[in-house]
Amino acid sequence: MIGLAQTIVGGLSMGAVYALVAMGFAIVYRTIGLVNFAHADVVMIGAYVTVTFYLTARLPFGVSLALAVGLTAVMGLAMERVLRPLEGRDLDLMLIGTIGFGIVLESVAILVWGSFGTAVPTPIPNVPLHVGGVIVTTYQLLVVAVSAVVMVVLFLFLDRTRLGTAMQAAAMDRVAATAMGVDVGAANALAFAIGSAIAAVAGALVGPLLYVSPGMGASIGIKGFAAAILGGFGSIPGAIVGGLIFGLIEAFSSGPLSAYADLITFVVFALAMMVRQTGIFGERTGDRA
Amino acid sequence: MIRVGLGKPALLAVLFALPVFLDLYKAHVAVLIMLYAIVAIGLCLVMGLGGQVNLAQAAFFGTGAYASAILTATYGWNPWLAAPAAILAACAVALVVGLPALRVQSHYLGIVSLGLAVAFASVLTNATLTGGASGITRIPPLPAPGIDLTDEYNYYYLVLVVLAGVTALALFVSGTTLGRRLRAMRDDSLAAAAVGIEIPQYRLMAFVLAGLLGGVAGVLYAHLVRYVSPDTFGLGVMFLLLAMVIIGGRDSVWGVLVAAALLVAARDLLIGLQTYQQLVYGALMVGTVVFAPRGLAGVASAVRRRLPFPWPSVPVPLPWRRSAEPGPAPPAPSPRRPPQAGGPAIAVAGVSKRFRGVLALDGVSLEVAAGEIHGIIGPNGSGKTTLFNVVSGIYQPSGGRVLLHGRDVTGRRAHELSRAGVARTFQNLRLFHRLTVLENVLVALDRDPAYAHARYLLGPWSVLRRERRDRARALALLRDLGLDGAADELAVNLPYGLQRRLEIARALAAEPSVVLLDEPAAGLTAGEQDALAEVIRRIRGAGATVLVIEHNMALVMGVCERITVLAHGRVIAAGRPAEVAHDANVVEAYLGSETAREEAV
Repeated sequence: MIGLAQTIVGGLSMGAVYALVAMGFAIVYRTIGLVNFAHADVVMIGAYVTVTFYLTARLPFGVSLALAVGLTAVMGLAMERVLRPLEGRDLDLMLIGTIGFGIVLESVAILVWGSFGTAVPTPIPNVPLHVGGVIVTTYQLLVVAVSAVVMVVLFLFLDRTRLGTAMQAAAMDRVAATAMGVDVGAANALAFAIGSAIAAVAGALVGPLLYVSPGMGASIGIKGFAAAILGGFGSIPGAIVGGLIFGLIEAFSSGPLSAYADLITFVVFALAMMVRQTGIFGERTGDRA
Repeated sequence: MIRVGLGKPALLAVLFALPVFLDLYKAHVAVLIMLYAIVAIGLCLVMGLGGQVNLAQAAFFGTGAYASAILTATYGWNPWLAAPAAILAACAVALVVGLPALRVQSHYLGIVSLGLAVAFASVLTNATLTGGASGITRIPPLPAPGIDLTDEYNYYYLVLVVLAGVTALALFVSGTTLGRRLRAMRDDSLAAAAVGIEIPQYRLMAFVLAGLLGGVAGVLYAHLVRYVSPDTFGLGVMFLLLAMVIIGGRDSVWGVLVAAALLVAARDLLIGLQTYQQLVYGALMVGTVVFAPRGLAGVASAVRRRLPFPWPSVPVPLPWRRSAEPGPAPPAPSPRRPPQAGGPAIAVAGVSKRFRGVLALDGVSLEVAAGEIHGIIGPNGSGKTTLFNVVSGIYQPSGGRVLLHGRDVTGRRAHELSRAGVARTFQNLRLFHRLTVLENVLVALDRDPAYAHARYLLGPWSVLRRERRDRARALALLRDLGLDGAADELAVNLPYGLQRRLEIARALAAEPSVVLLDEPAAGLTAGEQDALAEVIRRIRGAGATVLVIEHNMALVMGVCERITVLAHGRVIAAGRPAEVAHDANVVEAYLGSETAREEAV
């Protein structure tokens, strides 16, 4: 029983990170209808930038994080600007364009930081707390708390502010939103910037849990993305739930089967996708023929 | 006769002579380039032709290589015996990765296949059978009597022959019926199903083709390098393959070949600067999608068009494109008479369709006699198109029955109904945009079921013979409808009126017994509308039954023999045009909707 609770605690802290990554995917998807495959590498860049300011420049962790958030937001703006000619025209091409950006970001990271990873110390003393026999570390608590704050702020922004509503309008109907005075281009740019900023937070938080390396994006990104889809793509609460589920699946499939954890995770995910979708035409069923 | 540009034969000649100028290392790189090109052509078939976002191509490559390595190095099989087994294994893995494509498409499929590719790589790294992270060594070379295949130069020619074969296969497939159906499915899967294409089978076929080429290249790789390890088949390679296909031009086999050569050569000649060239190919990918979406192939054709002199070419006689057809030209496809006379062609009995609480059709019943032109009218949102979607199998009804010539076809899928004789056009035009006018018609004209593609293996010449016959029939149909002048134009480039006419041509090519036309007159000029009325009468004259949704009352009253009026998903009137026009319910439905519209404004 305690073993089970322990596994859940471990799964929840990674799950919180996946949920953040998933939210970054979701906010771009719900605004532009695009899956940003470079998102994973933005997470990685966010992690590296934070680590660089924190360890090399010896700035406080919070300041390093803020700098990383600002930098990745600018990166997000740049990506959106380059891909803007394809918006609303060919999403498959745009998707491949983001894969191209991912490759570029990864190679930039290798050029700047080398191809070997860095271990990162936790920014606060990592004290194990015993809660009813289960061990929870202070850093795990920090990860969950920061993630929760970001999620709540984002949710309030999208749901309660004019700008957030305008972004949703842009997502639902480009033309109608434009007619109502929403600057769709700006809404898209904002979505990219916010998505990338959240990615940086996720990257900064996950650094001390894992290991920061140029290739770290692949695993975190794919799981975060899968989480976003599992929860219902484009939905913020869905992203959170999906992220937590993925953290838990992963926590439970490590242990005796750890060599096959990825296999189990992705096969379960593929099956879930096949069951959840309805109709042979997937998303296109809703088209008016 | 066709004219063949000199560029491609020249490329082959250069490839043949190349080893003379290469040292041992460069010969090795050249062989690798050709192997990657084979894998990339596989990706080009599944993604460029089939429109399936497959991010697991490197795993098919890896399966071929690992299966061959395990069978020969671990179990001591003869490499030539292991090769077919390994290729089959790659096809099987491709089939499994393709299964989710039956349910999900586009970016969903991308992430599912990427996830499976990551899972594959992690199995390679962790399983004992695959030798874990250190991989499998001491793979035997391919034995061949009298030829030493451990020699790079000999291996070069082996791979060159395979590459030439694979290129020929890819070009053959993409230019004939199988490739045409794949491209039609890519452009519009709904319309493809409506002309009789079994979408699930074709999605899987696209994946198996990709697996086949991945497996072939994998086997050759294993016996060339004679060592396999997980990182050779990871995401890095996947993205390199993707870059080849995108930079080459998604549906151009030649473009992919050139891009493969450029990217691998760049990678291996700039050894030590690998990170920079990863940067370069990432940037090239971004640049390509933004500035040259059709890749090198698109750039090449644009350059060729602007040359001040014609591109050098030589005439080549091709058996399936004789300029003078022997004997009489085959007849154009024409609508058929129903199998048995008498009884209604279409009978809809109490059909309902519910979308999440909205009742779009509410117990609709109507009968259309064989050989009748039947109009369906009603205000916007009254359920007319939904009715067509149910009758043509695009939607499954929530209740009620649909009979076609007396047979119950309720719940049949679109491709089954197309084969049973139902053809349709779409309100918002659903042509296969990146197919030519002729190809749009050919896709519908070819009524062979999917398993008939076994001809590609059993008798490729019969594929060509059918191709020749079908082309002649398709051209005859285009001539009848006055579209033959634009036969080689891409459908997307036609003016609107001709696009509408092409959709009708595509529907007729399937030789239907029932034709459903959804607002065929929308956006047509007065002259075009007259021509349309003539076409509708001719379709009926050939024996088919016509159902037409139309807002243009002059057309409806002019051509229809009977009319059914829908409002709010119910039949509110039915009868001859003159009766319906004076029906109190009908007048109210139209005026009512008018007032409602005014209130809304």
